[in-house]
Amino acid sequence: MLVNSYSKKIFNMAYQFTGSYEQAEDATQEIFIKLFHSLRKFDFDRNFTAWLLTMTKNHLIDDYRRTRRERTQRDDYDEHYLCASPAENPENRLFREEERKKIWEKLDLLSPELRMTLILRDIQGRSYEEIAGIMSLPLGTVKSRVNRARLQLAGLLRPDQKGDKA
Amino acid sequence: MNCRRLQDLLSAYLEGELGPAGVAECDAHLRTCPDCASLMSAAREIRRSLSGFPELEASPSLLLKLRGLPEKSKKARFRLDFLVKPSLQPVYAAATVLLVIISFYAFNAQNRRAVNKAVSRQFHIGCGRVEKLLARAEGITDGMGAYRDDLLDSLKSFQLLRKKGE
Repeated sequence: MLVNSYSKKIFNMAYQFTGSYEQAEDATQEIFIKLFHSLRKFDFDRNFTAWLLTMTKNHLIDDYRRTRRERTQRDDYDEHYLCASPAENPENRLFREEERKKIWEKLDLLSPELRMTLILRDIQGRSYEEIAGIMSLPLGTVKSRVNRARLQLAGLLRPDQKGDKA
Repeated sequence: MNCRRLQDLLSAYLEGELGPAGVAECDAHLRTCPDCASLMSAAREIRRSLSGFPELEASPSLLLKLRGLPEKSKKARFRLDFLVKPSLQPVYAAATVLLVIISFYAFNAQNRRAVNKAVSRQFHIGCGRVEKLLARAEGITDGMGAYRDDLLDSLKSFQLLRKKGE
């Protein structure tokens, strides 16, 4: 039941963060192993999804720091995402896919904390309060991180490519 | 309003969290600063593109592995449960004491000689005591035999006297 309900969510979060299909599969397995071992410690007064996402976030960031030297490039965006894109009108879709491809390639240039905050906010559409709970950070810090992540990415992606002025 | 201030307010502006006065101030700056206008436009596109980011399905092989995890976990837990049964606690305590004694005996040559000597002396003392006890037991048996003979003689004499009296 846990696998059916959460595997897709965890796998997508891992893939968006790592950018590697293989690493995302490995991370998903490791996270589920951790989950099965720590289920007995779960306090049922807490929100289970938030608890699991905190565990996922911690695992992904720790693993990123541990394996930084062995890291390879992110997978090619088209390799897995092209067929999975939501239905949009053809012109819009072409433009959006180009944008998403550029963003996908630049995500690794953000620090792990900023990348994770941006994934939770803009890709998964979570509220600032939820993100504060998952990241164990004050609300103001989360808002500031989301702002910094958007600024850095915008600096890397705008047509003149001048970078962030801040 | 300067560029730095606009960058601080970028997310609030994009998410419609600014009041009318704040929006008017930002708009005025954006009209006069092409750099900030380009940054804002890039950030807006990033937000739009990320909000429709496609979700992938977890592969069947990953799902299969994840579904096998609870079984593996249960098996491992069963083995551990067997080892940490509370009823085995006295056995572990006794084994620990025995190992401590054996280690004292086995790893100290001087002690070993002393222990051998002490054991041998105690054994001989024990044998001597047993021999003494056996000798005393024989003495008691002999004494009891003599008493029995005396008693039988007395009974015979008593019967003879009774016959004479009749």
